[in-house]
Amino acid sequence: MEILIKAVYILIFPGLLFATVFGLWLAGIDRKLLARMQKRVGPPVLQPTYDFFKLLGKETIIPANAAKVTFLAAPYVGLISLVVTALFIPIGGLQAFGGMADTVVILYLMAIPSLAIIFGGSASGSPFAGVGVSRSMVSIMSYELPLILVLLAVGRAAAYGGYTTFSLEQITVIQQLTGPFLLDWRLIPAAVAMLLVIPCEVGAHPFDVGEAETEICEGPLVEYSGAPLAVFKLSHCIKMFIMTALFTALFLGGVTTGMLWLDVIIALVFCTIVTVVSMTLTHAVMARFRVEQLFKFFWTVVSGLALVSLILVWYV
Amino acid sequence: MMLANYIGAVALVVIGFYAMVMKRDIIKIVVGMGLVDYGLNLMIVSVGFNEGGTAPIYTFGELTSGMYFVDPIPQALTLTSIVIGACVTAMALALCVRLYKEYGTLDAHEIRRLHG
Amino acid sequence: MTYDVYMHFPVLAIMALFVGAFLVTLSGKREVLRNIIAGAAVLIALTLLALLIKPVMVDGEIITYWMGNWEPVNGYAIGIALEVDALSLFFGLLVAIAVACSCFYSFQYIRQDDARGGYFTLYLMLAGGVMGIVLSGDLFNIYVMLEVMTFAAVGLTAFRTWNPNAREAAFKYLVVGSIGSSCVLLGTALVYAQCHTLNLAQISALIPGRMNPTMVLAFALLFTGFGCKSFMFPFHPIAADAHGAAPSSVSVLISGVFTKTGVYGIIRVSYFLFRSMGLTSMQTGLVFIGCVSMFVCVTMALNQHDFKRLLAFHSISQIGYILTSLGLCTALGIAGGLYHAINHTLFKGLLFLTAGAVLYATGTTYLEKLGGLARKMPQTAALFLIGAFSISGIPPFNGFYSKWMIYQATFEKASETGSIGYALVTVVCVVTSVLTLASFIKVGQSVFFGQMPLEYENVKETPLSMRIPMWIMAALCVFTGVAPNIMINYVIGPATGAVLNFPGYIDAAMGEGYAAATITDTGYLAEPRLLTIGAWNPVNWLLLFVVVLAAVFLVSILGKRDRGEVNCAPDSKHAVFFGGEESQYSHVASGDLFWGFKHNLRGYLGFMSKAHSGVTNDYVLWGVTALAVIILYCFAFM
Repeated sequence: MEILIKAVYILIFPGLLFATVFGLWLAGIDRKLLARMQKRVGPPVLQPTYDFFKLLGKETIIPANAAKVTFLAAPYVGLISLVVTALFIPIGGLQAFGGMADTVVILYLMAIPSLAIIFGGSASGSPFAGVGVSRSMVSIMSYELPLILVLLAVGRAAAYGGYTTFSLEQITVIQQLTGPFLLDWRLIPAAVAMLLVIPCEVGAHPFDVGEAETEICEGPLVEYSGAPLAVFKLSHCIKMFIMTALFTALFLGGVTTGMLWLDVIIALVFCTIVTVVSMTLTHAVMARFRVEQLFKFFWTVVSGLALVSLILVWYV
Repeated sequence: MMLANYIGAVALVVIGFYAMVMKRDIIKIVVGMGLVDYGLNLMIVSVGFNEGGTAPIYTFGELTSGMYFVDPIPQALTLTSIVIGACVTAMALALCVRLYKEYGTLDAHEIRRLHG
Repeated sequence: MTYDVYMHFPVLAIMALFVGAFLVTLSGKREVLRNIIAGAAVLIALTLLALLIKPVMVDGEIITYWMGNWEPVNGYAIGIALEVDALSLFFGLLVAIAVACSCFYSFQYIRQDDARGGYFTLYLMLAGGVMGIVLSGDLFNIYVMLEVMTFAAVGLTAFRTWNPNAREAAFKYLVVGSIGSSCVLLGTALVYAQCHTLNLAQISALIPGRMNPTMVLAFALLFTGFGCKSFMFPFHPIAADAHGAAPSSVSVLISGVFTKTGVYGIIRVSYFLFRSMGLTSMQTGLVFIGCVSMFVCVTMALNQHDFKRLLAFHSISQIGYILTSLGLCTALGIAGGLYHAINHTLFKGLLFLTAGAVLYATGTTYLEKLGGLARKMPQTAALFLIGAFSISGIPPFNGFYSKWMIYQATFEKASETGSIGYALVTVVCVVTSVLTLASFIKVGQSVFFGQMPLEYENVKETPLSMRIPMWIMAALCVFTGVAPNIMINYVIGPATGAVLNFPGYIDAAMGEGYAAATITDTGYLAEPRLLTIGAWNPVNWLLLFVVVLAAVFLVSILGKRDRGEVNCAPDSKHAVFFGGEESQYSHVASGDLFWGFKHNLRGYLGFMSKAHSGVTNDYVLWGVTALAVIILYCFAFM
């Protein structure tokens, strides 16, 4: 029985199947709402899903210059590690494998899919991919500093008995006692910083320097086609789900009604709202940053916001 | 009397470091290393010295009460350290010879292919 | 004191290496004989130390061996002692493993060199010197071994006759290293002047609580001396030169093992002899040095164009982690530091060996000239990736676990002391970690992936005898990352306990009750308690990974008929997309990477690049300044 529940967790909810479906759905919502904001009709919400299945049916071409094994393995490693990461994040009090990874571990686990894109692109041997690799890495460097500051601020706010924490479980429990951290004025700058980190981590529009279609033909993805490309696109969608779920767990956790399924649904609604606020809105109102602007923006403004929160939480 | 030793030792060390920092000629840098080493040796021997003590070599017949000797261990340390110092100097000079052959100069400011 | 056969193992381990060094010289030009002797020496040393795991690590025994059976008389240790507690054995094992792997690697590797006669003599001398330091219980003995080690290392750095930079690197190393040696010697002499003994255990019993200006000076000197040997900031430039110029199999030793003696010395001096780590000022000082080392060196590494020089800077950056963690003076901090020490030896050794493999196959380590080697050397590329993921702390490899412990330790320290400074230390650690990742992506992109220059069409994978040691190290990297519980229970835990268990060490050497009778400052450290504030279970992560992998595999098999086929590009015209034209050679090499980052920090990076001027005088000046600052700091705050 135990194993069966675990299997359900891993394969169906919140694991493989759910992450896929919900990620694709989030991406669809994102595109639809973006279109509405720009006064377009926009594609149907299921468009990313159609794209995914269409891509699966296409031919995969391996370029002659590529290091084959890395080129083909990278997308799958990225996807699988993402799905596993999804299991560690509590969704509305539901903790599939809660006590197994903390915030810092998730910070590092989230680097694996980015690395998969980087090494996959690097292995393709394309110069566009080379430039993309360089830019993707700069964007990773950019968001890591504010992200760790946010995590530390939240960890300090969730201190219990003098012990600060990295544990997502404890962060959830403390929020059940004190109310969501988003309502704590000291943590509002951190929440804003986190909202800006999400699109950068996901590689969504204003911060998508690594895959800028108009400049470097999607950078690391330029040589990918067929199933591996589909997997990368899927990873992108699942990343949206994971990052918004992480935001929900960090800042909007502890909203309890007493019924688990209702809590989960509320959390998923929060995820959708966060997606819209952090990704769709920024996409609609901002043009793409240049690489060095991105780096500067994240290391000054966003990190500054997170640092303010950390100092406030520490001393106030 | 020991004070003079200590002052001398410190002076040697300081002069040695001065040579290592300021002198551009690598031979002079090696000389500086040597000076630091001699300063330390002087210091260590002085540490073990007892005013009026005899050499720490005796047989039972010679041993009388009230007799004492200088501490032998610092001397042993100094001997070891002198040997090591000589080796270091020899090695450094050997490297200087090779450097001169390869770079055509003994100026430390020009022997800097490895930088940045 | 019970008499057992394993009492003799430590001295035999050291002897095996030194006797091996002597016999290798006798073997002359007979290479097979020479290899057998060298291999036997390192294996004997490894076996002897491995046999000590049971009594020392598991049973918690402390082995004291008096050379020539000169045991202490009337509470005075006059003989020379070898004393092996869990901490010594921990470092001894590190040394033995790295030395053995690198030795077997170098049989094939140094075939390219012309003057191979002296290689194994110096190699075994270096190994023996390091082993002597970590197993010794006598301060002056440590100094002598330090000099033996430095000497052999300088010789090996200058060893490659065809490397034009080797002599220069060796000279700088010798000159700046001599500052460290002088400091250790003078510190030893001052300690002797105060305590009239050179035995570590007795010094440890006599000094603390009886500090006077001489002892403060002695502490500052010893600390700087060992710091110089660990290449902490600002002694790091010589390390970069030496690691880069030495043959890769030696770089493994200099970076993975030689620096560890410095770390070991700092632990012994500040936790053990003087027990000054309880002071807030000392903790702040060490953490500060560690943070500066790790950040400065990682940014320097991003600037490099040479594979091995880049690795060298990373080596010091990782030492920065270890020092930071040790400076926290909490059980978790010490454990994290020690764990990172073992991981550093493994992944840095692996990376240097892969750099050596690249050098062996292509004849260069210059990043701008290389590219696309993964197609010709797939195993080396895989090994490089394991090493790179380990050092940049990608789960589930080993670097992650120790870094994760360090983050927790620093953050916990922050909440304990209420100082936000330690939280910022955590931030510095994380940022350093991501910059490390960046520079290894740079290496990956410019050496193993991307396009391959035409002249490397005929490059072959390295021979099996070089790959096996690399695979062993890679396997150890994975093992220490995936099985942290085993490591902590059997290796790290006892070693951490040993750092704090100074009365046991003193009693083992000087006889039961000596510590209780002489120590005045009991209980400056609480019982070691490994309290984690987060959660991470690599085994379960791997299990989940495998389950999901199986599921994805199953799905992809079931949906096979809906999938498109996989084809290779038919000809070189379709090699890569190139704006619709025939592709040209256009490799994105290391110098062009991370422009956005470099552009923003150009002021800082340019300044650092200029500051590392390569002039010996400047480096000596840095060293002497560091010495002066540390002495002043100690006088001001101790």
